Amino acid sequence: MTELVSTAPDLMVMSHLFTAATENASEAMSRWTNGQITLSLEEVREVDLDQVSSELDVSDELLTMVVHHLDGELGGQLILTFDEQNGRHLAASLLKREICTDPEWSDLEKSALNETGNILSCAYMKVLTDMIGENLVPSPPYFIQDYGASILEQAVLAQAMVSDRVLVCRTNFRREGELLKWNVFFVPTDELLKKLTSTLESTD
Amino acid sequence: MSTTTVVDARKTPTAGMSVVLFLEKPEQAFCVVGSCIALTLYHPRTGHGALAHIVLPRSSDRTGPPGKYADTAIPYMVEALGKKGANCAGLVAKLSGGASMFGTSGPIKIGEQNAEAVTQLLKDLKIPIRGTHLAGPKGRRVTFNTQTGDVTVEVVGQPAETL
Repeated sequence: MTELVSTAPDLMVMSHLFTAATENASEAMSRWTNGQITLSLEEVREVDLDQVSSELDVSDELLTMVVHHLDGELGGQLILTFDEQNGRHLAASLLKREICTDPEWSDLEKSALNETGNILSCAYMKVLTDMIGENLVPSPPYFIQDYGASILEQAVLAQAMVSDRVLVCRTNFRREGELLKWNVFFVPTDELLKKLTSTLESTD
Repeated sequence: MSTTTVVDARKTPTAGMSVVLFLEKPEQAFCVVGSCIALTLYHPRTGHGALAHIVLPRSSDRTGPPGKYADTAIPYMVEALGKKGANCAGLVAKLSGGASMFGTSGPIKIGEQNAEAVTQLLKDLKIPIRGTHLAGPKGRRVTFNTQTGDVTVEVVGQPAETL
């Protein structure tokens, strides 16, 4: 239900940016899931580094994740996360099968979630690419399972090098109106963030 | 895929990024780390201990909470424990974390640098390292128990290990 980006000088500017990215991602997700899943941006605010896990309610819970990198100076990471139940439910829905109860995820289930990450990240990056006029291409997705807080920590690391605060954008995912326990963490590099900010400020 | 739950996270103090927790026997605390380091200092005689969630190896004159950097966290922990009667000569250390979680490029290498920095600083202060659980591609859930000085490390899909 949350996105996490980075330190930011102007919350209004960032809110404008991520509203547009979220709307595009929501349209893509809706098409991919036959209208079942939608996203909406709820809030944008800064939090202290030591409060990130608690503010986002991500601790030692085991999460299933699809990770994308943006390589280069204008880079970053986009991570889509689910708890076990929601991840299994999504995979089953996309594959039109019963929810799997095998402890190990099958290659087909992983592929279904990876493709979901692909669709989400490409929709996000298309908006950012259009805004800054630079081509942002997400890497192929990869599937991992780990403690939520350890992934969150890794995602904010690049920003922790330059600041003690990070910007949090809270996004809600809904399936047919019902809130889902999904998260998106998007963490641009400092260079990409500056580029996004300067582009938006110059167009205001 | 399974994981052992050593403590109930809702009832146990948690060290977030950059946080140092000071404990007295028989308290316990935990943290979840990826490339960061969970460092425990423990004084077996007094039962005092500290758990730090160290994010980066060197402060390089940057400001921030003392627990954020290895070179500020360790002196801070030693001084505070000393004030409680747990002098540096009696401390033992255990460290875990330093993973490379998303690959090997960019800031991800920081896990290795974190482990090296903490190890060297402990060596400089002549604090013996009594256990390590470092590197690899996975996050760790680390529980510090001052009743025993034990540090329990859990990795998803693996049995828990006690240092």
